[in-house]
Amino acid sequence: MKPDEFEQQLQRQPLRTPPEEWRREILEAANAAARARTPAFSPPGEPWWREWLWPSPRAWAGLAAAWMIILTLNTARPGTPAGVANGSPPPSREMIMALSAQRRELAELLGDAQETSPATKPAPPRPRSERQTQKTSV
Amino acid sequence: MPGQRAWPVQSSGRQIRRPRASFLKRMPSSLELARLYDDHAQALFGLLLNLTRNEADTRDVLQELFVKLARQPERLNGVRDERAFLLRLAHNAAIDRLRRGATRERNYEQLAAESASAFAPAHDPDEPGFRLALAAALGELPADQRAVVHLKLWEGLTFESIAETLCLSPNTAASRYRYGLDKLRARLRPLYDEIK
Repeated sequence: MKPDEFEQQLQRQPLRTPPEEWRREILEAANAAARARTPAFSPPGEPWWREWLWPSPRAWAGLAAAWMIILTLNTARPGTPAGVANGSPPPSREMIMALSAQRRELAELLGDAQETSPATKPAPPRPRSERQTQKTSV
Repeated sequence: MPGQRAWPVQSSGRQIRRPRASFLKRMPSSLELARLYDDHAQALFGLLLNLTRNEADTRDVLQELFVKLARQPERLNGVRDERAFLLRLAHNAAIDRLRRGATRERNYEQLAAESASAFAPAHDPDEPGFRLALAAALGELPADQRAVVHLKLWEGLTFESIAETLCLSPNTAASRYRYGLDKLRARLRPLYDEIK
């Protein structure tokens, strides 16, 4: 659509420019907002895990290295519980004899207890009336 | 050289550690914001002043817009036409503001002739009267027609671009422009005939 003379006359009216001081004030406010902004996303091209390490990747790396050293030392040392169990000397003859004597005594005690104790479960209480009859008979 | 200033020094004399480059990349660059302002502030100012008819409101909306961009620089990712995108943001923000202050806006409409003019002062002795009348006539248009007239006449956008910027159909943009222009023509005809 070709503009007519009236439209051309309107188009010739120049627009005002924004006041000079606005530039400084608005950019200051915008820059302050940008500084206050917390990083909420990884910029394109940067690996996602960098976000986890921010803002002190060196501290995290130091902590990880310390843990690696601790684990390495722990596995390399010969005093682990498994090592203790494997490396212990065999029991002496006296100790074996004492243990077997203890085991025998325990078996005897258990055998006696089995003989003396009733094998059946204790009978459930009888009805109250029956107990009364027993009392009277005694 | 602009943009290359010495890094600040603490009161103890020790230089504050410069943020790492990867951290700076996360923040919208102040140079980028300045570039956006220099490229588009004039157009945004014209549209906002034409819509709000008030310089303080125009400044507030313009500042809000730049603060929003500083907080969410990712909004500009993938934007093909920066100007159209910023005009749309400005238009939406201005309309929101007008809706929030509907009473104030009615006052502006009534006092259109006395409200802030979007036009530069004239040097030609015949021009001031015409510009004042034009500013007043624009103030009498509904905001939706005013936005289309402004974008067509002073931003030189096509109806397709205006439709995209204001989220309208091209036909609606064209009809709003015709209605608005007819009203301006009727209002300004005597003055226009004089200066023609």
